[in-house]
Amino acid sequence: MSAVITIANLRKQYSYAKRGRGLFGGFSPQHVSIEAVDGVSFQVERGERVAVIGPNGAGKSTTLKMLSGILEPTSGEASVLGLTPWRDRKALAYRIGVVFGQRSQLWGELPARDSFNQLRHIYDQDKAVFEKRLGEMVKRFALAELLDQPVHRMSLGQRMRCEITASLLHGPGLLFLDEPTIGLDVTAKAAIRDFIRDHARDHGQTVLLTSHDTRDIELVCDRVIVVNAGRVVVDQPTDQLRRRFLGRKIVTLLFNGAQIVLDLPGVTRRASDAHAVVLDVDTRLVRVEQVITAALAHGGVEDITIEDPPMEEVIHDIYASAVTTQ
Amino acid sequence: MTSTHLPSRPNEASRAASALLSAFRLGAGQTLAGWPVLVGRCIFYVILLIVLSALWDKVVAERLPGTLAGELPAGGLALYIGVTEWITLALPAVHLKLEDDIRSGGLEPHLLRPKSYLAQTFSQSLGAAMVRLGALGVTALVLLAVSGREPPPWEAFAYIVPLGVLGVVVGILLYALAGLMAFWARRTLPFQLVIQKLMFLLGGLYAPVTLYPPLLEAVAKASPFAAHLYWPSIQAIVTSREGFLTGLAWQGFWIVVLSYACLSLWRAGLAKVLREGGV
Repeated sequence: MSAVITIANLRKQYSYAKRGRGLFGGFSPQHVSIEAVDGVSFQVERGERVAVIGPNGAGKSTTLKMLSGILEPTSGEASVLGLTPWRDRKALAYRIGVVFGQRSQLWGELPARDSFNQLRHIYDQDKAVFEKRLGEMVKRFALAELLDQPVHRMSLGQRMRCEITASLLHGPGLLFLDEPTIGLDVTAKAAIRDFIRDHARDHGQTVLLTSHDTRDIELVCDRVIVVNAGRVVVDQPTDQLRRRFLGRKIVTLLFNGAQIVLDLPGVTRRASDAHAVVLDVDTRLVRVEQVITAALAHGGVEDITIEDPPMEEVIHDIYASAVTTQ
Repeated sequence: MTSTHLPSRPNEASRAASALLSAFRLGAGQTLAGWPVLVGRCIFYVILLIVLSALWDKVVAERLPGTLAGELPAGGLALYIGVTEWITLALPAVHLKLEDDIRSGGLEPHLLRPKSYLAQTFSQSLGAAMVRLGALGVTALVLLAVSGREPPPWEAFAYIVPLGVLGVVVGILLYALAGLMAFWARRTLPFQLVIQKLMFLLGGLYAPVTLYPPLLEAVAKASPFAAHLYWPSIQAIVTSREGFLTGLAWQGFWIVVLSYACLSLWRAGLAKVLREGGV
């Protein structure tokens, strides 16, 4: 395997002017610096699917921006597909695809087909090659009905399928995905994850993904890099990480009778009030199904919610673990 | 599928031109897709012309010696206003698009593409403006025929059309300058208002700048605002080959200067965004 991305001791410091106090505070601002990325180093091999995760403000989007060439680092080095991203931004653009979950790259008033066609000209694509690629995407992503529909009339899920198609039409070898499933329903998320994983596997494409959704990480990526406070705190295969940190579920029970008390191994009470109890379930010790059965047997249950632990908690666990093992 | 496609240098110019042409078509397509807005714009144009031509016809009819009205050419002012409004209403709000993209971070997806965002945006705006010029032009001709007003000589149309198109180019560049200020000021409304007022004052939006005292007239005629409005519009009342060529020269000059100014602002703003990650 050969390295597609190599970064060494990458740093990014932002500074901004903080207004002073009082009526004339604007004339004497204080300059504040923030270390958004603080000496990050890692390598990504060709064909790897890597998730970069972390809490808000951890520095993952800043890292992604530097790797795609739209942000200059304060110091450090990076090589992406043999190019220095911030010096060779336009040359790199031909070879990478980028999807921002919260930003559209399509032209809203026009049919998706027109956006795709415009991108063909922007990326200097041969018409026959472009048509072949679009045909594959249309088939794989069931886009036939959407091609002639104005983008602003599409649902978020439909739009995201078109966004991903747009990012792949020039055949990039490396795909950056920033929160690609944000705001989507369960079905749409599943379709997007399946497509990204299968497409990357079939075409030997390298993927670098950021997400707050642990399912994106589990189902798409084979390696996870966790950043916190601008530093890499964990870098390991997804399977290992799952075993270490994702073996918990949060079960919320709403009830209308007596307080529910479950005496099961691996079940701890996180919070409770007169009509609800939130349980932390260690799935290595007890199955969620057993917890639900016990709760229903207790009687008076009105509603049940099962969730993954919040990403912040997982990150906190990972970070705490990283600190204790250092 | 993951083939790398880097353009070879000899083909770069033709590929860049092809992308610009495609952006032009995209802008035209967007304007046509919003045809109800285009129709509304034409209706507004008709209302403006009816009101303003009635006003100027009344002023000119008085023709009191020694007053401003005495200096005005009889009958032609309605045609003059018809051309200034034809150009003004054809301008797309390029400053708002630039401001929105720069402030919202919408610039990022564009920076990840191999073609210049500024050139693409300009070309797209020009495509939108050309569709509007066409629709408003047809409206003007129909209104002229219905009004029974004496039309300008035929050669005037041959002069007005190219000068009008270039006037729109100057207008887009002026508004682009205002929009690019979003890199530093975030809000571009003050810059837009200044440009609008100068178009009114120095561009001769409602009356030719020949009405000004000689010094002010000379300053106005040499300004980019006159290149935007006055030089195309004056052909409707004083049709001349000399006037056409003079207007063309001023427009060429200002297109070069304003393009350079836009490019300089863009480069400085882009450097700021790449360094600071936003505005």
